[in-house]
Amino acid sequence: MPDVLLQYEEEIKLAILQTFAMVGVSVLAAILLGLPLGTLLFLSRKGQLLANGFVFSSLNLLVNTIRSFPFLLLVVFLIPFTRLLLGTAIGTAAATVPLAIIAIAHYSRLVEQSLLDVPRGVIEAAVSMGASTREVVLKFLFVEARSGLVLGLTTSIVSFISYSTIMGVVGGGGIGDFAIRYGYQQFQTELMMYMILIMVVLVQLIQFAGTTLARVLDKR
Amino acid sequence: MITLRTVSKTFSEQPVVKAVSLSIDPGEVHGIIGASGAGKSTLLRLMNLLERPDAGEVEFDGQPLMRLPERRLRHVRQEIGMIFQHFHLVSNKTVEQNVDAPLRIARVSKKERSVRVNECLRFVGLESFAGKYPAELSGGQKQRVAIARALANGPRVLLCDEPTSSLDPGTTSEILRVLQEVNRTLGVTVVLVSHEMDVIKSLCDRVTVMEDGEIRETVRIEPAGIPSIDSDAIWFLTQLTEGGGPHA
Ligand SMILES: Nc1ncnc2c1ncn2[C@@H]1O[C@H](COP(=O)(O)OP(=O)(O)OP(=O)(O)O)[C@@H](O)[C@H]1O
Ligand SMILES: [Mg+2]
Repeated sequence: MPDVLLQYEEEIKLAILQTFAMVGVSVLAAILLGLPLGTLLFLSRKGQLLANGFVFSSLNLLVNTIRSFPFLLLVVFLIPFTRLLLGTAIGTAAATVPLAIIAIAHYSRLVEQSLLDVPRGVIEAAVSMGASTREVVLKFLFVEARSGLVLGLTTSIVSFISYSTIMGVVGGGGIGDFAIRYGYQQFQTELMMYMILIMVVLVQLIQFAGTTLARVLDKR
Repeated sequence: MITLRTVSKTFSEQPVVKAVSLSIDPGEVHGIIGASGAGKSTLLRLMNLLERPDAGEVEFDGQPLMRLPERRLRHVRQEIGMIFQHFHLVSNKTVEQNVDAPLRIARVSKKERSVRVNECLRFVGLESFAGKYPAELSGGQKQRVAIARALANGPRVLLCDEPTSSLDPGTTSEILRVLQEVNRTLGVTVVLVSHEMDVIKSLCDRVTVMEDGEIRETVRIEPAGIPSIDSDAIWFLTQLTEGGGPHA
């Protein structure tokens, strides 16, 4: 292993762990809250099963607003909220709050898009056989949209990794923060390059896994 | 079996079904024919409340559907099968899983479900295709799977919206034979929307002619295949058969 990496082994291990923690929480938030939110966005649209103009417009506005913030500003803007929630706005745990919020907004939009790709007729067939809205969603929509949902999540995860790199501003740490502080600010270009390499490999692996899974799931 | 009473439906200020009354008799094959945009599909979709009317009553077996609570309505829908021009199978489910879906919705036990799935697939002659995905099937085979799926819960009525319109003539007569079986062997009432006169003639006991959201006439088709219709309606049907439609 190159000397620079050995020299900073502990710091690098910690940075990788921090990145995994931040991205991990984002993925959980995306699945547990972004998926339902995206589904509700879809269902509340005009002509859909739970059509409701007020609900749709409100959610749509909310998601757009969150996504239109430059991410750095969102992090700063959310500091009071994070402090209220966790008692502190500094550190890796605190960094997961704005990351989770952008993750929910980001993935919900991709979920909505995937569901829009499901042919309308499939929903009609489901309703005609007596399915409840819940059954339509779980047994028809999610089944038919599953490869799109996986691809969307893959795209989202890659974005979360990118977002996580700036969490140094609130002391979140992570690979990106380490690369800036030790690589860039201390003129250790080689070290910075290695960190970039780690990110590139990580993104490639995730994209490969996502694309493969989506292909296996797609029987259309 | 199904009764529509002065049922109306308007889409964005445009009336599509205008105070239509129609009664489907138990056991019959009832055709609905008319030009494109006449409101045939909408009329059919009103029968299981896939489309809710703006005015009028829809009755199934004497029950006024519009006044049923959601849960009861879903139950009634299990007694009304439906098939479509473009099949609308779930492409990420196998043939078997597609036919199983309505049975799960009806909370049928696992053991009974597998028996039913087999019966239905055998009925449409696709028992050896159980593990295949829709993408591996021809159009005619997909429509058979859709029929098997629609029959899974043992419905008393089958609503068909142009079930043969995207199939070639050979496959069309195959599917029509299956639908005839559904009616004759299983005793299921069939409502069949089509714009092809041949399809209607080969299968239907009665036919309703629609034009501009209204029923122009409902007539009985004689076994000989010559409809006992007044000259006006014959002219109309001829226009349709020649593919022009009355406004072409
Ligand atoms: N969900 C909808 N929203 C708005 N307009 C609709 C909707 N469904 C149908 N229409 C309109 O209602 C009219 C009748 O449609 P319908 O599908 O019932 O006709 P059809 O007789 O089945 O025609 P086709 O032979 O082309 O299938 C058409 O003008 C159509 O554009
Ligand atoms: Mg139609």
